[in-house]
Amino acid sequence: MRLEKCWFCSSTVYPGHGIQFVRNDAKVFRFCRSKCHKNFKMKRNPRKVKWTKAYRSLHGKDMTQDSTFEFERKRNRPERYDRNVTEQTLKAIPLITKIRHERQKKHITNRLADVL
Amino acid sequence: MATRIQFENNCEIGVFSKLTNAYCLVAIGGSENFYSAFEAELSDVIPVVKTSIGGTRIIGRLCVGNKNGLLLPHTTTDQELQHLRNCLPDQVVVQRIDERLSALGNCIACNDHVALTHPDLDKATEELIADVLGVEVFRQTIAGNILVGSYCAFTNRGGLVHPHTSIEDLDELSTLLQVPLVAGTVNRGSEVIAAGMTVNDWTAFCGSDTTATELSVIESVFKLREGQPAAIVDDMRKSLIDSYV
Repeated sequence: MRLEKCWFCSSTVYPGHGIQFVRNDAKVFRFCRSKCHKNFKMKRNPRKVKWTKAYRSLHGKDMTQDSTFEFERKRNRPERYDRNVTEQTLKAIPLITKIRHERQKKHITNRLADVL
Repeated sequence: MATRIQFENNCEIGVFSKLTNAYCLVAIGGSENFYSAFEAELSDVIPVVKTSIGGTRIIGRLCVGNKNGLLLPHTTTDQELQHLRNCLPDQVVVQRIDERLSALGNCIACNDHVALTHPDLDKATEELIADVLGVEVFRQTIAGNILVGSYCAFTNRGGLVHPHTSIEDLDELSTLLQVPLVAGTVNRGSEVIAAGMTVNDWTAFCGSDTTATELSVIESVFKLREGQPAAIVDDMRKSLIDSYV
């Protein structure tokens, strides 16, 4: 089981939700809900649709570059299971999430402060 | 030493298992007979690992590997990837690759030094193969078939290819791979060599439909018979006699 990202809005797709579309060139598109799926069928570009993460990242509304995002990257070369490492990782995950949220909030407050 | 086995009454051994010089992958089957056959031959020499790839049992056709590494398709789940990494020795690099042609076992055939690939494989994948498996990569076809991984099986000591390969093709491949090649069949005339059998430098496993002639060809081209005369007689008896009445 893997928590995937919606192709259109970039939110997480949990098990039991959404639709997965496989195109003839073997590219897989996952959608979190029918809203995103229908927008995709209408051939809308997510970079131009205001409420998607793609638009917000492109137009600098949301934080894009940060070291906290590196932790979530998909890895293709696994490491041998080590109990201590797993324990430390599980302890660190909520801390990292908290830090990431703080930084995202900061980014938005800074942006709004700059506007004024 | 070639052995005849079946996977749940099916003779396509190469589909449900992957055998290399450093490890052996076996599909999770209904009965333990398949796994036991491999364990009996190999367990004291190399690790025999039961696994699935992307929840399927056709692991032999989805992955490709040699003693240096193992390449898996993008459909492999994280849990399977972790399981393989834990079970295989550290010298084997386990890598999942993003490739449109996801049945790597059908597209790539390799031994410890050379690999033949599907002509339409990505450039990035080709570099990954050269890096992870430590081989020289050649884009080739076999008897006009682009699925090189299915129509030939070769090891460091010999190789068996599709029966309709022309002699010029055979010579060309032989010089490319630097091993003696023979065009033959497996499983009573099946042309899909790699699906019907799996082989490494010292053992081979074929489907139980394989005739005695095919088995003797396999044993001679892959040089599986040891030198002693007594052993030769014993081995030949096993391959010449199909069943005891």
